[in-house]
Amino acid sequence: MRSLHAELTKLRTLPSIWWLLAATVVLMVALGAAAVDSVTSQACLSPADCHEDTVKLSLTGVWLGQAACLVLGVLSMGAEYSTGMIRTTLTAVPIRRRLLVSKATALSLLTGAAGVVAVLASLWTARLILPLHGSTLRPATGTVLCLILVALLGLSLATLLRDTAAAIICGLGLLYIVPLLADILHSPTWQHRLERWAPMPAALSIQATRNLDHLPIAPWPGLGVLAAYALGLLVAGSVLFGRRDA
Amino acid sequence: MSDATIEVRDLRKRFGRTVAVDGLSFTVQPGTVTGFVGPNGAGKSTTMRAILGLDAPDQGTALIGGRPYRDLRTPLLEVGALLDAAALHPSRRGRDHLRWLAHSHGLPTHRVDEVLEQVGMDKAARRRAGGYSLGMRQRLGIAAALLGDPPVLLLDEPVNGLDPEGIQWIRTLLRRLAAEGRAVLVSSHLMSELEDTADHLVVIGRGRLIADRAVADLLAAASGDRVRLRTAARTEALELLAREGGTVTVTDRETLTVTGLPVERIVELLSEARVPVTEVGAHRATLEEAYMELTREAVEFGSSPDGEEVTP
Amino acid sequence: MTTTLTPYRSRLHPARAGFARLLRAEWAKFWTVRAWLLVLAVAAAVTVVISQLGASGSIDTGAGELIAGPDGTVVRDAFRFTHRPLTGDGSITVRVTGLKGVRGGLESWAKAGIIVKKDLRPGSPYAAVLGTPDHGVRMQWNFTQDTAGSTADVASAPRWLRLTRKGDLLTGYESADGRTWTKIKEVRLDGLPRTVEVGPFVATPDHQKLHRSFGGTSETSGGGEVTGTFGHLSLRGTSAAARWTSTDVSGPIPAGVREGATGRTAVSASGSYTLTGHGDIAPDETVGDTVQMSFQGVFVGVLFMVALGALFVTSEYKRGLIRTTFTATPGRVRVLAAKTLVIATVTFVVGLIATAVAFPLAQSRLRANGYKPPAFPDYSLLDATALRAVVGSAVLLSLVAVLALAVGALVRSSAGTIATVLVLVILPQILAFALPLPTAHWLLRLTPAAAYAIQQGLTYYPQVEHNCLPESGCYPMAPWNGLLVLVAYAAVALLLAGWRLRRRDV
Repeated sequence: MRSLHAELTKLRTLPSIWWLLAATVVLMVALGAAAVDSVTSQACLSPADCHEDTVKLSLTGVWLGQAACLVLGVLSMGAEYSTGMIRTTLTAVPIRRRLLVSKATALSLLTGAAGVVAVLASLWTARLILPLHGSTLRPATGTVLCLILVALLGLSLATLLRDTAAAIICGLGLLYIVPLLADILHSPTWQHRLERWAPMPAALSIQATRNLDHLPIAPWPGLGVLAAYALGLLVAGSVLFGRRDA
Repeated sequence: MSDATIEVRDLRKRFGRTVAVDGLSFTVQPGTVTGFVGPNGAGKSTTMRAILGLDAPDQGTALIGGRPYRDLRTPLLEVGALLDAAALHPSRRGRDHLRWLAHSHGLPTHRVDEVLEQVGMDKAARRRAGGYSLGMRQRLGIAAALLGDPPVLLLDEPVNGLDPEGIQWIRTLLRRLAAEGRAVLVSSHLMSELEDTADHLVVIGRGRLIADRAVADLLAAASGDRVRLRTAARTEALELLAREGGTVTVTDRETLTVTGLPVERIVELLSEARVPVTEVGAHRATLEEAYMELTREAVEFGSSPDGEEVTP
Repeated sequence: MTTTLTPYRSRLHPARAGFARLLRAEWAKFWTVRAWLLVLAVAAAVTVVISQLGASGSIDTGAGELIAGPDGTVVRDAFRFTHRPLTGDGSITVRVTGLKGVRGGLESWAKAGIIVKKDLRPGSPYAAVLGTPDHGVRMQWNFTQDTAGSTADVASAPRWLRLTRKGDLLTGYESADGRTWTKIKEVRLDGLPRTVEVGPFVATPDHQKLHRSFGGTSETSGGGEVTGTFGHLSLRGTSAAARWTSTDVSGPIPAGVREGATGRTAVSASGSYTLTGHGDIAPDETVGDTVQMSFQGVFVGVLFMVALGALFVTSEYKRGLIRTTFTATPGRVRVLAAKTLVIATVTFVVGLIATAVAFPLAQSRLRANGYKPPAFPDYSLLDATALRAVVGSAVLLSLVAVLALAVGALVRSSAGTIATVLVLVILPQILAFALPLPTAHWLLRLTPAAAYAIQQGLTYYPQVEHNCLPESGCYPMAPWNGLLVLVAYAAVALLLAGWRLRRRDV
């Protein structure tokens, strides 16, 4: 508990943290509103004609918010390595696994809080533009979890690679390049594989409220894929972290 | 081109609400090692960055040989600087670090090997800088400063991280560089590091100049005209010297400190009165004591933050 | 103490002019970091490998055979044609009195007019003067060529059209009243035989509907049918046939749309002709873009180039090395210029090697998968289109690195720089695949992602209405214009970085 408090303090005092959290919220709301707005003027002239998954659309902003969360997760660990503060930290909390768990918890709390604000604000803004139909509970909780998991992914990559730039590149590659490839590859087999097993397109099936049987992967298992990546890498990170010299 | 000097005139620099340098003026002369001393956070590094054109001063000028640093066409041939020994890319070899610096001035590669040998890094420089000790980084940084064979040298805390042998080496090096006619400015937060090295001292505290004088003067002033006296007949000596106009303080059971009387007069008086004396000597202050005296009221994080600055 | 000393002078003399020195120093900085060379090599390898993967899909041409136009372009050549042979010189005149859709909707490029065509085979050379509902009167020839006449709308007001043949020269005219004629254009059609087929025709492109949402786009096209009415049909010149015959060029509507619908021609007692038909005379833009399909690896290559560009400057800030750099060269803008030049050259050269290797490999793989001539051109590396895409992709990779460098000089943190630039370059693509088409197009015009237009191999003609789908490799901007958007981003970022560097303390 004491180490959790210490980690929260450390995160709170990271110079870029408030920028990143604010960016998560603002970018998510802005992109979501833009996406919803672009649909109202073209495809959804009246609610009855609208075939769009409006809930999912209003949460489009997760595509931008996740970048900020990833950076946040990476910096929460990467900043310690780049400044050499990791040695001080490890002297204060010698049990490394506990350190990593506190760090992950602190990070989850902060991104979770920002995520809740961002998701609620996105849904509220979208509702001003367009009637949302379907239950918003699963997409909303799912999106918040998604942001938390992305931040944890950043944390585990930074722990594994011990380098901010390398962790950012790997993380962004997973979050952006793989989904892009899933869209453009002209091989349906590969497309299907990527949509099911890459963290990002899979996790976002949690946002779907329509045509659920057409999804490449069902909502909760989809989020499970991202969780498997994030937590699997975190476990790998903690094993390596425990063995390596700081 | 005028003489190889560093002239700082009325330099002022603030970061947000903190005033880092507050109207600082001093000159570094060729042929001398000038110590630049002040407690941590006194504004030494900011001043050095301003001299090197890295930080733009809010007011005032810093000139090298009469010109601002940014106007120098080949700065490495005019000023050699060591700011932060840790400023190395960890996966670049030490030698390669010097090579790109040499390339930036069109200097030949054998010059790199020359300076590496000069600082005793010719072997280590073939390894990646990430594995260097602090001492090796300092030596590489000094090599970089010497690369252009410059008439002006600016070294920020070069002694940090060096072993006793390294400290001896750098003292000799600095003396030699000054003897060749170069102007050498060496910063330190420890006066003792500059003992036997610096000819001249610029002392600052809280961004302001506290002292700018030759080491010899400074020591003389700190020593004052104090005479230390060891005698078994403490009371007689005390009464006698006080009667003759001296100020006498008791240091311990057998020693007295006398001011206001030259040492010759004291010896004369005591021998006339046949007061037994075992030891008489002029008190010699250390540089550290002189410095403590100067900065006592100017230490930034000291107990009296509103204390008056001592200006010479 | 103060002895008179001769001031010391450096015994060294600099060689080379200022900027060349600086370039050499920055180049030395680059190649002496082994990790960066490794990243470059990985970038090239990944670009090639992913490009192969991208080219591994097999063809699904859907409906039937592809028709090649006179210049080899894949075309659609299906229309209702009421014709007579014309031997030697002559002219055909008609008054188009109406154009309407059979079931309501009328496509903006529906056509009713007169045509001179080499023969009735699909894809043969032709020239036509025609009216459209939304694009006025046009003269079109050999599928890819198009000239605008007046803006008259034949669907609402009748219009006279005339087409004359004199040797290889064909001239189109139009008139409001049949007395005063305006020339639209005179064109030369090479290789026309002495006897050609002439007459009125109607055609209409398919109606296309698009559903897009995250997770998929469905495009449905309904076979549109159109009816045109013609009066005062007259042919001057020698014709072997005394009567008009009617043909569906390319045959009935192909299977899958509406089985067996054939065109109809009716003649009224007053000599007015009513033609009903489907199809279009235009370049076919629904085939895959085999050039664009060969560069999928560039999307991944971008990731590494962004990292290199960013780290080349942010790693100096991270360790304070930037102070050493600016102490050695106080001209900070010059340092930025040298860094830009070095990173641009390095990434361009490596990018060029990667794309030049990836393209022929991907091409041969595509050919093996059924993307063969004549439907798909057999590009060699030195064909103008291929060369533009190969070199352009390398330029794109290099510009992305420069953008990252400039943003890095502004932001100074590697994490922030890499995330910002990558999101700027990649995210618009992902969103463009899902958002409604007009929004998607704006994204691909305004963000650096516009630059991927340089990889387009197909020419998109203005006389063809098509849904330019980003996921099919279509970009709303012309290739070089798209690249210019990225150039503008990089230039603005560099200017800001230069301005900021001059002012800020380091």
